[in-house]
Amino acid sequence: MGGTAQAVAYLWPELIVAITGALILVIDLFLPRVGEEGASSRSWLAYVGVAGLAVAAVATAARAGVETTLFDGIIVLDGLATYFTFLFLGIGALSLLLAANSVPRFTRWPAEYYALVVWCTLGHMVLASAGELFTIFVTLQLTSLPLIILIGYAKRSGKSGEAALKYLLLVLVSTAVLAYGMSLIYGSLGTSTISEIALQLGKAERIDSVVALGLVLLLTGFAFKITAAPFHYWVPDTYEGAPTPTTAFMSVGSKFAGFALALRIIVATTHVQLDWPLIFGVMAALSMTIGNLGAIRQVNIKRMLAYSGIAQAGYLLVGVAALSAAGVASILFYSVAYTLANLAAFGTIINVAKATRSAEIEGYAGLAKRAPLVALTAAIALLSLGGLPLLGGFMAKFYVFLTAAHEGLIWLVAIGVINSVISMYYYMRVIYVIYVREGDTEPLVLDPSATLASAVCVAGVLALGLFPEYAFRLANEAAAVLFR
Amino acid sequence: MMTQMGTGQLVLAATILVPLVGGILLSLIPRSFSGHARGYALGISGLVLVMAGWLWANFDPTVAGMQFEIDVPWIAGLGTAFHLGVDGLSLPLLFLTALLTCLAVIASAGINDRERQYFTLLLLLEAGLSGVFVSLDLILFYLFWEVVLIPMYFLISIWGGPNRAYAAVKFFLYTLAGSLAMLAGIIALYLATGAKTFDLIRIAESAGHLPAALQTGIFIAIAVGLAVKVPIFPLHTWLPDAHVEAPTAVSVLLAGVLLKMGSYGFIRLGPGVLPAGFTAIAPVLAVLAVISIVYGAALALVQTDLKRLVAYSSVSHMGYVMLGISAGTTAGLTGATVQMFSHGLIAGLLFLLVGAVYSRAHTREMAAFGGIAKVTPILAGGFVFASFASLGLPGMSGFIGEFLVVAGTLPVYPVLAMISAAAVVLTVSYLLWMLRRVTFGPLNEERAGMPDISGSEVASMAPLALLILVVGVLPQSLIGVMQTTIESIVAVLAR
Repeated sequence: MGGTAQAVAYLWPELIVAITGALILVIDLFLPRVGEEGASSRSWLAYVGVAGLAVAAVATAARAGVETTLFDGIIVLDGLATYFTFLFLGIGALSLLLAANSVPRFTRWPAEYYALVVWCTLGHMVLASAGELFTIFVTLQLTSLPLIILIGYAKRSGKSGEAALKYLLLVLVSTAVLAYGMSLIYGSLGTSTISEIALQLGKAERIDSVVALGLVLLLTGFAFKITAAPFHYWVPDTYEGAPTPTTAFMSVGSKFAGFALALRIIVATTHVQLDWPLIFGVMAALSMTIGNLGAIRQVNIKRMLAYSGIAQAGYLLVGVAALSAAGVASILFYSVAYTLANLAAFGTIINVAKATRSAEIEGYAGLAKRAPLVALTAAIALLSLGGLPLLGGFMAKFYVFLTAAHEGLIWLVAIGVINSVISMYYYMRVIYVIYVREGDTEPLVLDPSATLASAVCVAGVLALGLFPEYAFRLANEAAAVLFR
Repeated sequence: MMTQMGTGQLVLAATILVPLVGGILLSLIPRSFSGHARGYALGISGLVLVMAGWLWANFDPTVAGMQFEIDVPWIAGLGTAFHLGVDGLSLPLLFLTALLTCLAVIASAGINDRERQYFTLLLLLEAGLSGVFVSLDLILFYLFWEVVLIPMYFLISIWGGPNRAYAAVKFFLYTLAGSLAMLAGIIALYLATGAKTFDLIRIAESAGHLPAALQTGIFIAIAVGLAVKVPIFPLHTWLPDAHVEAPTAVSVLLAGVLLKMGSYGFIRLGPGVLPAGFTAIAPVLAVLAVISIVYGAALALVQTDLKRLVAYSSVSHMGYVMLGISAGTTAGLTGATVQMFSHGLIAGLLFLLVGAVYSRAHTREMAAFGGIAKVTPILAGGFVFASFASLGLPGMSGFIGEFLVVAGTLPVYPVLAMISAAAVVLTVSYLLWMLRRVTFGPLNEERAGMPDISGSEVASMAPLALLILVVGVLPQSLIGVMQTTIESIVAVLAR
């Protein structure tokens, strides 16, 4: 291993993102002070963020072939890290687009909001390549703390503050549990590097119960992050209360950050005498069922998507339960399909909320007449979330179920299939309101950047559904890294 | 097998692509075009009909395998491809789809709200339906199968009757639940063969050697999805609701083509792919088919709503199709396939007639009619013609189908065959009872000024009436196309 300077040379993408966040704040300093109404004149700062993330993506592409570990295994650069880094950069950029014009509507300080999204993205990126427990712990804070602020950003809305407080308390609890689990593992094995842990567990005759407990506690922190049942209670309130761009960002960013950190650990500990397929299978079944049944009753679309997100975490966990290279690949593919569909849906919510000032599903009546293209993006996004063919969501679900069936988890696939039917009911209900119910007829004034983000996402959803080949290959290559 | 792109291949692909692209273009055309939307859709669907006719004319009935095959790789990692082709089984259904879509467009003269969307959805529906019948890749088949759902859902829920929301959701969820069971079966099939392909032809080669128990399990999962679509008792309850709420043209396609997706799938995936699994559950299917025949007819007998009556008669008539399929004999399968085609014609005609009556009287309650033969002789004549075709009068297509089904079932399930033959009494009863209440008897004064059939109505109905007669008088014109294919299917079963 080379010197620190050489190691830093590998970290250009992360450095660029860090600088981008700072740059937004510095530019903001030099801009004239503005009042409440002038805040929207700052929305171009979001594009600075998008540009910064794009440059970082180029830098990541330049680093793509690299296979190395830095700082004695603290940072692992490999195909999986690259895949997730791209995903998080994409999520960050799309979330900035969603936020660009909508954030100034509820705050005088949009620049700080954009900067926090960028830094939170940095946290996600580092998690993607973290190979050591305490790095994971510290980086998790780098993602959680900005998120707490972003959730509470709409100061005048009581719900926003309440949501932030709830999230803060749960982050503290889950952090404590996570730290406890990590210390148990470190205490028993004397190492915190994941590769070392895997090596020791591979050699051990039988697993120490303390280590097993530690792993289970780690898992708890992971389940909280990915909004899996039974650690999902905070999700609906937080999603509903948070400003919509924040909800959009955390619904995918935070969720896949959880997967990024967990996949390495889970795969590294496959020899442990814990029945991982059963544990994750039960968790998946619970998440799918609780999420879908919860979503049916919702009248607020953000709450509905919160429950739908719990259910989607369940589908993803089906892939984890498969515990194979194909299973991980299916999760990676799913993560892109879900990100695109979900962000497209949130783009619609932002557009509609701009006119109706609410996120009630009833407010979507007549949307097909008011804004045909927004209605179409919403319909495609929701159908993809439900898993209808020709759209990315179908390919993703199909792939996950296929790999799980391949590993013999027929019962889990059956539960997943039944849940897909249930989920279609509530997704279709929104589409029904949009297309069939009569409502206001005056044309909707669109939020340009959110509409752009939605359009990009929908194009992606269609591309993934029609031509999934390339994404399949990338996901498979990235997943293969873990199983060498 | 990568085939060269000949004219036939291009035409076959175009039967899906033309309505698909045509539909998408229509939705993008400015709103001012709305007045021409029907003419546009007629042009597109007419073109598809011409292409389907061309395929029929150039089809070689002596070849057992697939013709006009296209095989372009799609997702290599999964082993799926754009593999299309037709044989004697799928060609008549492809033609039926093209014909009924074209007639449905003509019959949609009454649609004057959101025309562009309506005809867009109709064309997308056609693309999906054609796709189902010509797909030779299980994933592609499943994609088209599901794609059909969306336009159908919107066609019912936007342009349907007062209870449309309920009917559309019921239709959607029933069929979605069924098709996900089918998807699970397809996945199981893919994993079981281990051939790493979804290609129907290649899977058919290897799946036949799987253990019978495994084949049975997989086929049951697939059969659930198919059975919902047919629909077989007890999975039929979505159908009357969907029919009653759907606009006329949509009912025509629903009964005429959509139901055939299910029975087509039974033949294609049953004897064709999982013969042992099919043989194992065929007796159960046969019993359910006979229950559908009798129960559907019995329910039709007690209906007061004209459309509901025709809907239940569809359940009954599709029962004959399923009975013929489960018999697994040459005569049975031929009868089933003829009956599929024939029911598409007859049910289409009946729904068009009901629609014509409804558009005049704004009610479908049979009590509100009576003696309309006195004021609208041609319309009433149409009812008499369609009813006789439906009850299986010799010389009409319905007779050939039902006769072959009963004849083909007799050696396998004699008791069931006799019950199904006896059920014709019920069919005759409800149809004559309907004719007596609607067309004959004393004239209901409210209907005194009812206008007779219009030019566009004649245009939508006459081709169906003509084909009913052609198939009835010259059954060989239809059977000739499918004979070789069916013999090869039966040969697989006999092994």
